[in-house]
Amino acid sequence: MRRIEIRSKLVENTAILYPGPYLNQLRGEAIENRCLELLSEGVRSVVINFEDTELINSIGVSILIGVIESIHESSGKLLLTNLSESNRELFDVLGLLSQVEIIESEEQALASFRGLTGAALC
Amino acid sequence: MEPATRKLLHSLTALADLGAEISSTHEFDEVMSASLHTMLGTLAMSRGAIARFSSRPLQLKVIAAKGNRILKGEKIVLGREEAEYLASCSRPVGLAEGNGLAGFTSRNGDLMKRLRAGSLAPAVARGELMGVILLSEKFNRESLTEQDLAIIAAIARHIGIAMYNHRLMVSLKRKAEENRRLYRGMRQMYQDTIRAFAAAIDLKDAYTSGHSDRVSRYSEAIAKEMGLTGTELEYIAVAGHLHDIGKIVVDRTIINNPRPLTEPEFLELNKHVTTGYEILSSIGHPWNEIAYMTKCHHERVDGRGYPQGLVGDQIPLGAKIVTLADSFDAMMTDRPYRSRLPLQQALGELQRNTGKQFAREVVLAFCRLLKKEISGEIRSRVLTMTVGRKFEREAVDSMLTSMLAAGDAGNQAMSC
Ligand SMILES: [Fe+2]
Repeated sequence: MRRIEIRSKLVENTAILYPGPYLNQLRGEAIENRCLELLSEGVRSVVINFEDTELINSIGVSILIGVIESIHESSGKLLLTNLSESNRELFDVLGLLSQVEIIESEEQALASFRGLTGAALC
Repeated sequence: MEPATRKLLHSLTALADLGAEISSTHEFDEVMSASLHTMLGTLAMSRGAIARFSSRPLQLKVIAAKGNRILKGEKIVLGREEAEYLASCSRPVGLAEGNGLAGFTSRNGDLMKRLRAGSLAPAVARGELMGVILLSEKFNRESLTEQDLAIIAAIARHIGIAMYNHRLMVSLKRKAEENRRLYRGMRQMYQDTIRAFAAAIDLKDAYTSGHSDRVSRYSEAIAKEMGLTGTELEYIAVAGHLHDIGKIVVDRTIINNPRPLTEPEFLELNKHVTTGYEILSSIGHPWNEIAYMTKCHHERVDGRGYPQGLVGDQIPLGAKIVTLADSFDAMMTDRPYRSRLPLQQALGELQRNTGKQFAREVVLAFCRLLKKEISGEIRSRVLTMTVGRKFEREAVDSMLTSMLAAGDAGNQAMSC
């Protein structure tokens, strides 16, 4: 079986994942596996940055929904960033915009998580 | 882009992807899993399963699943009437509705809960229920639109056809495997029969136990060395086994006579070639070829053999090969009137009789193969199986070298 590594990094306990140009079965499964791994390591804040992602196919959507569910079930929080116009439209017609939060940029997402932690510390 | 257009495009792309996936060479399980994901991703659903229908025993078995705690291999109970109802449905069926599936939902309540199953799409091909696709509600909890139902039905049809084709392929493979097994069994029986015959022939002669079997193996190896393959090779091996079958009707006292034979005895013994031919040629095609090889195994290329006194290429190649194999084995085993010859001496006999009793091309192939076995160039030991390790290795090797060189010179002279 082909194995695909997807780019990811950890900033202040927030995991940031980059699905790459085409979110299909292979890349979707790689993201799902990485997410489950991070959740098991105790990470609860996840950002998926779609800056390079031109296309998301049905299988990609299905796996992404699984990821959203897994993060919710572990009481984590997921933010999607840098969605192109057409990908945002796709999420809209699929009714996903009400299920997951979309933020303009990675920095804003990190700031939002920072705010959450700050609030929790008070 | 208009939302409706965007959605349609997404669904069409999904159908195209699905077509490519289904006609791909991926494993069936992978195809089913990708098909399920396609269905769920097209409609933005979080959970689902594809289950294959079997009528005996009457059940559904999960072959692809997405969502927590839903396992491949899980069985779902289905009634006969429910199966009939599903086979007649061309559209997905809501599980909460008062349709033919009320009992189904309550009977499989636990799984339906884990799947959060909202609807079920039958996968039907050629009017036959192949399986079902169980679907959760949409991720945003909205109810299914008419367009959603049409898309589900279209994808379910694809999945049904894929399952139908898969079943067809599995049953074809099984039949082909069964045929192969039957054929192997028949061949085994055929070979055992020939071996049994050969053993019966050899039993008649107290001194030649295993002779026919060895002649067959020598003949086959020499024929292979000469480049023969397939049925030609096989017939020669069979002829090797059965070359002396005519001896069955020769008086045992003549065969086992340790003294030189009298003229009438000799004539009686020689009849075994024509008798063998009569026995084998009655079997019919492709045995007439084998029968004729056995008839000619005492012919000589110089025309002084029997029964017909054929010359050179009038003798079939298979017979020329069996003749050499027969004589070689006779020299390499003890006989009532002498003990076995040393390998070197046997080679000397072959050399002296090349072009007389033996065909040059067969002697050359024999020498090439023997050289390879002795030098260890090939692992198998066919010609050397009775030789053991005690022989003048160097003397034999140089003898083979000179026989092969003489053969090359002879070939060149002929081509001039
Ligand atoms: Fe004979």
